[in-house]
This record gives sequence, structure tokens and C-alpha cells, in this order.
Amino acid sequence: MGRRLRTAYDWLDERAAIRSLLRKGLYEAVPVRGAWFYTLGSATLVLILLQLITGIFLTLLFVPSVTEAWQSLNYLKEHDAFGSIVRGIHLWSAYILLFVIGLHMVRTFFSGSYKRPRELNWVTGVGLFVLVLGMAITGAFLPWDQAAYWTAVVVTNIPAYTPFIGSFIRALWRGADTVGPITLSRTFGIHVWLLPAILFPLIGAHLALLRKHGEFGSYVNYRGAYRSREGVDVPPAPAQRPIEPPYPAAPSDELWAAPLQTEDFYPHQTFKDGIISAALVVVVFILAVAIGAPLEAIADPATTSYTPVPEWFFLPLDELLVLVPQQLIPLVLVLPTGGVLLLLALPFIDRGPERNPFERPAVMVPGAFAVLFVVILTLLGSGRLFNL
Amino acid sequence: MARRDPRRLSRRQFAVLGTQVSGAVVAVLLGIPIVGFLISPLFRQQQVVWRKVGDIAGVPDGEPTKFDVAFPLDAWTTAEANLAVYVVKSGDNTKVFSNVCTHMQCPVRWDGTLHQFLCPCHGGLYDINGANVGGPPPKPLPQYVHRIDGTTLFVQNRFTEDL
Amino acid sequence: MSALLAVIAPALHVLATQLPAQAPQGQNIVGAQVAIGSLFSLHILIAGLVSGAAELGPAIEFLGYVRQRRNYDRLAHGLGRFITYYFSVSSTIAILLITVLLVGFWGHFWTTIVTIGWWPLFIEAWTFVLQVSLAYLWYYTWEPMRALKGVHMAIGGLLAIASFLQVYMIDVVASYMLTPSTQNPVRIALNPTSYPLTVHRTVGNLAYIGFAFGGFCAIRYLRAKTAEDKRFYDWAGSFGLLWGVSMTLLQPVVGYSYAKEIQLHSYGSWYKMMFGSLSPVFLWQITLLGIMFLTATFYFARRLRTDSARGSGILKLLSVAMVLTTLLAAQPYALGFSYETVAAAGLNRPFWEGGLINPLGSMIPWKVLALMFYTLIAIAAVVWYLRGLPGVVWGTARRGEQRILILMTVFTMLMIVTMGFIRENSRGPFLISGEMTIQGQQDLQTAQPTPAPPSSP
Repeated sequence: MGRRLRTAYDWLDERAAIRSLLRKGLYEAVPVRGAWFYTLGSATLVLILLQLITGIFLTLLFVPSVTEAWQSLNYLKEHDAFGSIVRGIHLWSAYILLFVIGLHMVRTFFSGSYKRPRELNWVTGVGLFVLVLGMAITGAFLPWDQAAYWTAVVVTNIPAYTPFIGSFIRALWRGADTVGPITLSRTFGIHVWLLPAILFPLIGAHLALLRKHGEFGSYVNYRGAYRSREGVDVPPAPAQRPIEPPYPAAPSDELWAAPLQTEDFYPHQTFKDGIISAALVVVVFILAVAIGAPLEAIADPATTSYTPVPEWFFLPLDELLVLVPQQLIPLVLVLPTGGVLLLLALPFIDRGPERNPFERPAVMVPGAFAVLFVVILTLLGSGRLFNL
Repeated sequence: MARRDPRRLSRRQFAVLGTQVSGAVVAVLLGIPIVGFLISPLFRQQQVVWRKVGDIAGVPDGEPTKFDVAFPLDAWTTAEANLAVYVVKSGDNTKVFSNVCTHMQCPVRWDGTLHQFLCPCHGGLYDINGANVGGPPPKPLPQYVHRIDGTTLFVQNRFTEDL
Repeated sequence: MSALLAVIAPALHVLATQLPAQAPQGQNIVGAQVAIGSLFSLHILIAGLVSGAAELGPAIEFLGYVRQRRNYDRLAHGLGRFITYYFSVSSTIAILLITVLLVGFWGHFWTTIVTIGWWPLFIEAWTFVLQVSLAYLWYYTWEPMRALKGVHMAIGGLLAIASFLQVYMIDVVASYMLTPSTQNPVRIALNPTSYPLTVHRTVGNLAYIGFAFGGFCAIRYLRAKTAEDKRFYDWAGSFGLLWGVSMTLLQPVVGYSYAKEIQLHSYGSWYKMMFGSLSPVFLWQITLLGIMFLTATFYFARRLRTDSARGSGILKLLSVAMVLTTLLAAQPYALGFSYETVAAAGLNRPFWEGGLINPLGSMIPWKVLALMFYTLIAIAAVVWYLRGLPGVVWGTARRGEQRILILMTVFTMLMIVTMGFIRENSRGPFLISGEMTIQGQQDLQTAQPTPAPPSSP
């Protein structure tokens, strides 16, 4: 039997080059220290795939029409327990995905993983972040219940504050002056086709770039970490594996090019990746079954009792909208746009080779402030909404 | 090799040109309809109709009263959706407000205790004449184009000023 | 020991017999408010430092461990020592307040609030037990636990958490006084101003301890004898100021949000602060904030110039920008005592129309812009200072820099006392907004009338 399998394997290898593919894929070198933090990237990927799969199956029932969207989801809720769980997974996976992608961004930011030669990796990553946010926003419109309808009204209204072209952008997205059937159809198409068509190739590029240069990890894995410590001699290099691909064999930058110690991606990193991803999926599943995806009353533009509440990841922006007076409203557009542009420009602003976050406070401190502001605004926003 | 006329295209140059032209043709023929489709809403007029609100003789002075009025939704659908119409009378003057907040278009409601229109999203406040008196809204509460026949109010799904 | 008791016991007896048999009526209110107010201010001035030290100290120890720098360890050790010295002092004042003054003067109020907020106070009491045991443990096991640094840092971490929890619990009670909610525990804990107040105070305590040890190290620097001491105190002073400014620049956003919640849920208090009798004090507060930022930026510029490190020029420019922003923030809206008095006199028109209003002093949008500029310029100042730090040689600071650090400490204390004054008086005449007045807390039988807040401007 074993000999038959090996023959089959050889047959496949001759035709599809499986052996080298597997070796490259599974036995790549990754840094040893801090490996639990590097699981965030694969967790993001797993949650996105979860979204893709549950999303595909949801399109087998959902109808993107203003008269049938809510009805189809209500039907699901009333008559289809398993379908409701799928919908619950789709919602909670989205919420947790946004949180994990934030953590992943913070981790790569603080570890300096965006520095040469990995700048494009970071840039594609920022693009992915914006696309995932776009997916979350467009997805929120679709159920056409009160929450979805008013989210659609407010979110499509935000670009209207862009000078000169604002109302055009709003009309473009809405398909008319007010939110209506065309808005739902357009948003559905954007959510299911347009954004994924850009998102998934970009994920491919992001992963390909990662494989090209290797996982950077964190500064503690490198010779450069030992420079700034007081009273501690640079340790003798541990008995290490010879510098393996993808790390450069002839490093141009001796301090940060290749980690001092590496291990195989499979099974060591995949073990950690697996544990974290599985734990997250379990949490998503529990939330999907216990709480599920809520479906509020059907959209009613004439309501005078409903209070629109933003999605949790929009809370900082919403709190800003409360605090910023009317003359300064365009600021609320400028801040996120400026923030994204700054993120994109980061590898080109912080160009030095130093990877130790404590040795480059001029970049880390503003980053820490940005994170602090987002956290504080989220806290204040949730407190305000709780007390409405 | 024989001397070539520099004005004539080489075989390679011709192939390059052909590739570029084919690409351009496909892009243009695909692009024009798509771009046109995307921006077509900017050139379409929304359907504007008159609808009867009802008898407003019973509306008390100085107390905004809400009416729900059904208007057609846009485009192909035959469904209709309710819009809120606030009728405010002060003596002979009758104002007809919509409940669309001028900040982020959240649904505004009349708050009896505050004696103002309140937008729950970001705390916007409008007084009984619709003027924006508190919070972030930059403009007064929008008013519907309306006409009154005797004591019956008719309203169009169009504001007196664009939002 | 017995000699001490012999002195204290009669004094206590005299004190006990002098206290009124029942809560005082009428004129004594002012006296009571002055006594309680000054003691509370003193308590906050010390307790804020202790809380801040309990949170910042372990963080600095951790930073020092990661960066393998002895300076950080020495600084954290010093903060630990501070906690052990002053914890009991601030606790004594607090206990004096709640068991003698509040029970004596505001008995009805105090029993009401303890009944409503019994569980935050209960949890707070246990956080004190934790803080005391952990603080002493953390300080005294410093050297013995060198080899087990991880465990030692964990103790410090628990201390920081206990300290934060304590501040959160007392803030639940304090914020309930301003914006009371219905009385189920979750609603009490999350009443409208509990989040903003807790964030505001936590950030404030962290800033305060930074400025305070900055000033303290400045004094020590001027008295230092050895070169190593001079190096340490110079670095620590700069670190304290840096830390203080970094925390303070978060405050404009938090403070504005806090004021927004007060506007929405306790309008009378908000009106008093912004338009009424407290508005001149509030104007002074926003000016003082600008002065603090300006002083800090000035320190940054000077310190870099002392060692000819790069960035001094940009910091001087930022100082100028900060001066302009402070001038914008300091513009009074009402060119009289307050808007309320100006409006009452019928003069609420711009001054060029014969009125007493200065439109450049309006909150929206000018002061909001000023607050944003405070934050942005301060971030820029911090970043440029950090960029220039590699060029600084510790131990070479001039006297001028140290004087600035001491001035910052004074300003911070002034700010804290001002804010406490504004806070407590804005709520007047209520002790619990809308529910219990100072007058009324003495009369257990009659239902209290609720003074209506002034009508909107």
C-alpha cells in the first residue's frame, strides 16, 4: 500500500511539481521568539475565509430587494435554525475580524515589520484593512432592517461633506438622492462582487510578498537587539541553522536581515496558528449560537422613536461627530483619510533600519497616541450611547 | 542586412503597437458603458409626486404633530415607504417639516420636555421654527414643498431647499 | 508612645465635644463647605500622586526591564518609596473626611450615597487592602527579588490594576452625584459621566505624577553632588515632564466629551460652568492649560539647546504656535463677569455693536480649534523632543530648565485645585443633581424642591 501511495505521489510530482511546492510551503524558516504574536496574521486570514464561505452560502437565500431583503432574512430567522447560525457566524466573525485585523496592524507597526524590504507588504496590508472595513460597512446595509437602513442613510451621507464633489459621491453610491432600491442593489453588488474581486487578489499579493522576504517577527530575534542593552554583553550566536531562505544568504544589513534562530513553519508555527485560529472560531461559533445575528424591525424612514446606533468599529468616528461643531465637520472626513494616508506613507517616513520600538520613539509615540485616541473615543462613545 | 527605411515600422514595433491598440479598444468599449452606468444616477430625476397628508384643522397651535405619508420609492419598485411630516402651526403660519436631520440625516423627533426637535444620533437640536439651535447640525430642519387646500394639506417629496 | 497618646486623646475629646450634636443649619454651610473643600483638595493633591505612582511605577519598572536600563529601575524604586511614605497620609485625610466631616455636616447626604453606592465603596475598600499590601510588598521585595524580576513585576502590575480599580469605584460615586441614574447597579456604574470622569482622572493622575516627580527631580538635581546623581536626576526630570505632557495632551478630547455629557444630562451644572458664575474660572482653566503646554514646549526647546541637539529650532517655533493658541483660547466670550450677567443687562451683542460679546471667544468654533491645536502642537513637540534626545548628554542641564520643571509642578497643582473647585461648585446647590440640595440634606422629612435649570441661551 505504501509503495502504491509513493508511486502516486511521484506521478503527481512529475506532472505538478508537488514535492517542491510542499517543501517550500511547509518547511519555510520562521523566527522562534514571540511566535504567538505572529499568529494574528493567519487568524485574520482564517476569519476572512470564514466570511467568504458563510457569505457564499447566505447568497443562496438572501434577496437584495427592498421588499424582500428583510423578509428573506426573517424567514431564515423563523424557519431555519442552521441558516441562522450561518448568519450569526457571518456577523460575529466580521466583528472579531475587525478587532483581530487591528491587533495585527498594531503588532506589525510596533515591530517595524514594514521596513525595507517589506514596505509593499505593509502597503498591501493597509489596502486590505480599508477593503475589509468597506466589506463590513457595505454588509451592514443589506438586511434592510432599521439598523441597516439608518446605517445606509448616515454612512452614505458622510462623503457628502467632501468639498465640491460631496453630493455627487453620495448620489453615486445611493443611486439617487435618497436611499432606496438602487442603493441596496449597488451595495449588494459591491459587497458580494466588487470588493471581494479586489480583496482576494490583494490577499494573494500580501501572502506572496510575505513568502518572498520571510516573516520578520520582532526585534528580539535579531543581532541588532543586543546593541542598546546596558551591562549585557552581546551573547554568542547560538548554534543556529544556516541562514535559510527566504532570509537573504548574503545579508546587506547584518543586524536585521536574518533571525538568529529559526524553526520550521510546519509544524511549529502552524501549531500556534491553529490553536489561536481554532479558539477564535470557537468563540465566533458560541456567539453565533448564543446571541446570533439580530434582525430588528423592518426599515421605516418615518420613525420618530428609533435611535440609530453605529457599529462598534464606527464608535470613535461617531463620538467625533458628536464633539465636532458644525463649522468643523469636514475635519471628521479629514482625520480618517489623513490617517489612512499616513499609514500608507509610514514605511517611507520611518526609513531607518532600527527595529527596536523603544529605540524609535519618534514614530512609536504618535502611533501609541493614535491607538489611545481610538480606544478613548470608543469608550466615551459607548458610555454616551448607553446613557441615551 | 539591408538598410531599412527608419519611417517604416519594424516587425517588433508593429506587434507592440497592435497589442496596445487591442488593449485600448477593449478597455474603451468596456469602460464607456460601465462608467456611464455608474454615473447615470447623477442625471436622473427622482420621481416627484403630490400626496395628501390629511386634514390639519385639528393640529394644535405650537405643538408639532406628526403625520406618516406614503411616497413611492425610487426606480422600478412599486412599493411605497412612509415619510414623516411634522406640521407646526403658529397662528396663521403653518410650517411643514421633514424629520431628516441636516447633520447626518438621522431621524429627528419632537421632544416635549425639551420643547425642541432632538436628533438622537449626535444631540442636534432645532427649535419650534426649525432653526438649528444646538449641536452639530449646520442648517435648519428641511421643509417640504406643500400646499393647503382649505384645511387639507398636500405635500411633495421634495424640499424647499436642497439638503 | 504613651506620651503621644496623652497629647492626642484630649485633643480628640475636645474635637468630639465641639462637633454639633446634629447637622448644622443655616450659616454654618459656608464654613462646612470651606472645611470640606480644602481638605478634599489636600486629599486629592496627595492621593492623585499616590494613584499615579502606583500605576506608573510598575510600568516604568517593566520598561526598564525590557530595555535593560538601570535608570528606569531606580526611578520606579523611588516611586515605590513615595507610595510607602504618603499612602497613609492621604488615607488619613480621606478617613477624617468621610468619618468626621461628611458624617457630621452632610449626614443625610452621606448615608444616602453610601446606601445607593454601597457596592462601589465596598469594592473600593478591598482595593485599598490590595493596594496597601501590594505597595509595601512591591517596594520591600525589590532587591530580594532581583532574580525573580518577572514575579516582582507581576506584583507591580497587580498594584497598578488595584489602583485603577479604586479610582474607578470612587468615580462611580462621584459621577453619580453629578449625573444620577436609575438605581440598578449597572446603570449606576455606567452613569453618563462615569466613563469620562474615570478616563479623565486616570489620565490626569498619570500626568500629575509625571509633572510632580519632574519637579522633585529638578530640586534633587540642583542639590546633587555626584555626577551619576546629576545624570539620573536630569534624565528623570525630563522623563517626568515628557510623560506629563503626553498624558495631558489627551485631556482636551476627554474633557470636551465630559462637558458634552454634563450638557446632556445635567444642564444646569453645564450652564453654570460655561455661561454662568463659574465661567470666568473655566476661562482661567483653559488658559492655564495653554500656559502648561507652553511651559513644557519651552523646556523641550531649552533642554535641546543646552546640548546643541537638533530640533531646538522647531521647538521654538512650536512654542510660538502654542503662545498664539493660548491667546486664542484665553479670549473671553462675555466682556463682563459672565455671559449670564451680560445677557441680563441686555448687552449680548458683539462689542462693535455696543454690546459686550467678543465673538472670537465663542466655544464654537474658536475654542474647539484652540483645543485641537493644543493637542496637535503638543504631539509635535513631544515627537521633536524625542527625535532630539539622542543628542542630549544627561547631567548638563542648566538651572533654567530645573526652574521650569518646578514651575510645571506648581501649575499642575493649581490646575487640580481649580478643577476641583469648578466641579464641586458647578453642581451647587445640589449634592446629588436634581435630587438632594445642600440645604435639603439636613431636612429628612420634607420632599426637596428641584430648582429648575436656567432656560437655554
